[in-house]
Amino acid sequence: MKQYVLKRLLNIIPIMIVVSIIIFMFIHLIPGDPARIIAGQKATLEEIEIMREQLGLNDPYIVQYKNFMLGILTGDWGNSLKTGLPVWEVIIPRMKPTLILAIFSIVWSVIAGISIGVISAINRGKLIDYIVMVGASSGISLPLFWLGLMLMQIFSVKLGWFPTTGIDSLSSYVLPSITLGAGITAMIARYTRSSMIEILKENYIRTSRAKGLSEFIVINKHALRNSLVDVITIVGLQFGFLLAGSVLVETVFAIPGLGRLLIDSILFRDYTVVQTVLLIFTFQFIIINLIVDVLYGVANPKIRYQ
Amino acid sequence: MEEVKMQEAKYEDFKIENPMKEFARKFLKKKSAVVSLGFIFFLVILAIFQPAPYDIDETDYDNILSEPNSEHLFGTDEYGRDVLSRIITGTRLSLSVAVTAVTIGAFLGSILGIIAGYYGGLLESLIMRFCDILFSFPGLLLAIGIVAIIGPGLTNVVIAISIYGIPTFTRVIRSSTLSIKELLYIEASRSIGVSDTRLLVKHIFPGTLPALIVTYTMRMGTAIISAASLSFLGFGASPTNPDWGAMLSTGRDYIGVAPHMLLYPGLMIFFTVLAFNLLGDGLRDTLDPKLD
Amino acid sequence: MKKLIALFIVIVMSVTFVACSNNTEEAGNKATDETATNTPVENEDVNMTIAVNAEIISLDPHDISDTLSGSATSTMYESLYDYKLDMSLEPVLATGYDVSEDGLEYTFYIREGVTFHDGTPLNAEAVKYNFDRVSNKEKNLKRRRNLLHVVSTEVIDEYTLLVKLDAPFAPMLNRIASIKIISPAALEKYGDKGIITNPVGTGPYVFEEWTPGDKMVVRTNENYWREGPKIDTLTFKPVTENGARIAMLQTGDADFIYPMPTEQVKAVEGDKNIEVIEGPSTIARFTFLNMSKEIFSDVRVRQAINYAIDKKAYAKVVKSGYAVPLTSHVPSTITYHVAQPEYEYNLEKAKKLMAEAGYPNGFKTHIWAPNDTENMKGMQFISQQLSKIGIEVEVVPMEEGTLSDSIYKAKTPEESTVNMWYVSWSAFDFDGATAKLFHSANIPPTAPNVSYYMNPKADELIEAGAIEVDPEKRAKIYAELQEIIWNDAPWIFLGSDVLLSAKRSTTEGIFVDPSGGIIATQAATSK
Repeated sequence: MKQYVLKRLLNIIPIMIVVSIIIFMFIHLIPGDPARIIAGQKATLEEIEIMREQLGLNDPYIVQYKNFMLGILTGDWGNSLKTGLPVWEVIIPRMKPTLILAIFSIVWSVIAGISIGVISAINRGKLIDYIVMVGASSGISLPLFWLGLMLMQIFSVKLGWFPTTGIDSLSSYVLPSITLGAGITAMIARYTRSSMIEILKENYIRTSRAKGLSEFIVINKHALRNSLVDVITIVGLQFGFLLAGSVLVETVFAIPGLGRLLIDSILFRDYTVVQTVLLIFTFQFIIINLIVDVLYGVANPKIRYQ
Repeated sequence: MEEVKMQEAKYEDFKIENPMKEFARKFLKKKSAVVSLGFIFFLVILAIFQPAPYDIDETDYDNILSEPNSEHLFGTDEYGRDVLSRIITGTRLSLSVAVTAVTIGAFLGSILGIIAGYYGGLLESLIMRFCDILFSFPGLLLAIGIVAIIGPGLTNVVIAISIYGIPTFTRVIRSSTLSIKELLYIEASRSIGVSDTRLLVKHIFPGTLPALIVTYTMRMGTAIISAASLSFLGFGASPTNPDWGAMLSTGRDYIGVAPHMLLYPGLMIFFTVLAFNLLGDGLRDTLDPKLD
Repeated sequence: MKKLIALFIVIVMSVTFVACSNNTEEAGNKATDETATNTPVENEDVNMTIAVNAEIISLDPHDISDTLSGSATSTMYESLYDYKLDMSLEPVLATGYDVSEDGLEYTFYIREGVTFHDGTPLNAEAVKYNFDRVSNKEKNLKRRRNLLHVVSTEVIDEYTLLVKLDAPFAPMLNRIASIKIISPAALEKYGDKGIITNPVGTGPYVFEEWTPGDKMVVRTNENYWREGPKIDTLTFKPVTENGARIAMLQTGDADFIYPMPTEQVKAVEGDKNIEVIEGPSTIARFTFLNMSKEIFSDVRVRQAINYAIDKKAYAKVVKSGYAVPLTSHVPSTITYHVAQPEYEYNLEKAKKLMAEAGYPNGFKTHIWAPNDTENMKGMQFISQQLSKIGIEVEVVPMEEGTLSDSIYKAKTPEESTVNMWYVSWSAFDFDGATAKLFHSANIPPTAPNVSYYMNPKADELIEAGAIEVDPEKRAKIYAELQEIIWNDAPWIFLGSDVLLSAKRSTTEGIFVDPSGGIIATQAATSK
């Protein structure tokens, strides 16, 4: 087990190298000259040329890649091409909103999703099962931006319960995290339900029941705990969905997070910022996947790690 | 009688009397899934025959943004075109984008997943690292990146969505393969010297089918939403096409003025995706042998 | 149990993540948090918020080229001259100027008694410091393009500055107006990059905080040299989603929004708390027709296209009624504009011209523009209209960077692949609205003369107008030029925007000028 984790950790190094090359290629493959975009339509050709030279865009790709990697390893992530500010100064303020949004969404969708799943599983085949599951499925069937706009119209504009946009208080995060979490809630509910149904059929549950333990204890202590394993996997797998979804949600609710920064920077061909944000995204993603895999192994010892 | 016999022969290995009948019996009990299947059939019919009441490109600048009325049941859009007609005609586009994208993703993803799960070792590591890399560019962002490089347009949207579907299938099929492999009877077949190919085709692949079908159905919904999201961000189909997502993103400019432009395409996407998800639920319950 | 521990670890990790990013920010946020929580209610600040549709890119007024960053820096910085709402120039940090007869020497008289926010006095030396910074080729700041004709600046005395040009340049005062004056002491202290986040000017507001992507807050300058705002703080907040921006105005989270989406005016009409403000603009909307391509080389085809477009329908459908037809290649807000006889909507005439040009059945072509909904709407409209004279136009939305690459990568007219480009242009003066778009030296990759319009007579007039200092003679030159361009029809002349902003009815003293700049010098509120 320890060996496996160690191996996986070592594996991160080659992955990150490949990823960094892909990221570098990606940003340079997109057509578009940052110098021209940054200088604007009214720039003179001379201005653009000087800028290209100063930004090192005239260097061969291999030199540019070397500089990019050297910079990252030595902690000098360069300046944003767009604003001229150091990349870290641009990125750090953007991390907090995205993380708060992600955590809020995960937390509420885990709670709501598991509850829905359990209710549904216990009442399998009954009307309430249908209603709850159709309701949960609706969550994932709504286009995020559509849901966001509708929620904002109803709860901010009509009822005035929450701020429309921004991140000025924690209540600003309520509607965005509901929007972002809706899909994951449905996912979690679905998986909790099926894994509960499965587990409720297992012998040891029958034994517990036979022993005369109350249904409440059976459900909560034995069945739910075991189905949590599946839920962890799902939560992990959904993290990508979450980060991607945050792009849309951040756009609708004007939240200055990493997702929107990434899109804006791609549009602006702000190479340094795009490279750094993508590296952060992928790194955090790989780590989360690793954790999921390890937890999966802990939970299900039948799987052999090779 | 003939037919039944053939099926019996084909599914011999499962030792089930009549799997199709068995499946149908169980599936018909899932009312929401049956209704969903009916709705999807209805969509397919719309997509094939396109019974649109108006020419979808016919503009009427004197009659723009009019609310739903007896002439235009879903109202008209910003050029005075009939929204209902565009939604009906758009069914073909939206469905075919999703079907193509998911099929490609499922095909490639399943192959990778089975290979990884069955053979393990270095091959598995390579495939799973490849997936990690694809996965490490979160879903929609990957699609956006691909479209940014190869340019917008329907074909490219399909390519982007299928690529980002690959790792999902690979993971699901791999874990499904892993657990089947652990089942005793596979160990047993292996020990009595059945060839790998035969094992893969006869035991493992059929075993992963339930997971594949369920994931496929679920991904249909995701694909439709992804296409719409790409349109929302301006990376999607050409705006002249009657694409639901494109209609939705134009509609959001008129949210307070002509809500029908946002409402109907939105509902259409919602019901379609919901239908696929409920169908997926139903299939999952029916197909997963462990649940019975 | 192991599982629970693992889950716990995940949670702890996530929380640490947040905590980490929290710490780094704390220093910046502390000040504002304290004022927000500790200030007694009776002394509560009067705060106003302006919601805008894009992000502020930079606060270095010498290194920006977008209108919004211009608006944001204008709250803290001022120039020697600046535009009034009618686009005429008024002295601000100068009290007047003289120009020598040959048009080569400008003498500026600097306003006395003005100090920068850091206490540095404004004088000729400070202005020279700024002009020298902008002109420095090494620094390559974006505003340098406006001072290309400046050879040297000399301090005559404490409040007199001499600017020497290499050639007479008629719009010089307009270009001077674009150079905001930064405190030289602050520039020394913070450096060229540091000044971005530490703005120190002479303007009506003093910098308070800026979180890129979130908001910029400025506080009223107590020592402003003339009458200033009647509020305490002003916030600029980027809200790109149109619906969200309106929602902010409806709930009162914003006091002023710009732009007000034209489509949604009807949605707020009944709201007594909201007023929609219309204003003319310097924005021209048009479509380049690439004349180096055979299909557009015949003037009859280009005129036919102009006849085939219903400009009133364009305004109604694409701009929700908030546009006026273009009557020249420059909008009527630009000085020296002369209205030309309109290309009235006439399909018969258009078809006849097409037949004469040898295209009775039309042809196939494509149109390019960025992939936002407004541009896509415009392209679709043109495509729909031209289909009526047999021209089949494929609509190709492109992501903005890709679009500019596709246009500028062509080194010669033959290499160009663009057919039609639906676009807009905004400039302060006639030369700025003409030279880059019509002079034959300015075809890509040099500048956006994407029509590849190469008319020697027009070139001559553009050059003559730029050096003619006498307004009357200049007017004559530009009148002739406008007629030539209009008849050559290198563009589809579509319209000029009516700028829409919206405010809470309690909001006073915030305006949008015709270039789309937000002026909040006199901001006040009765809320």
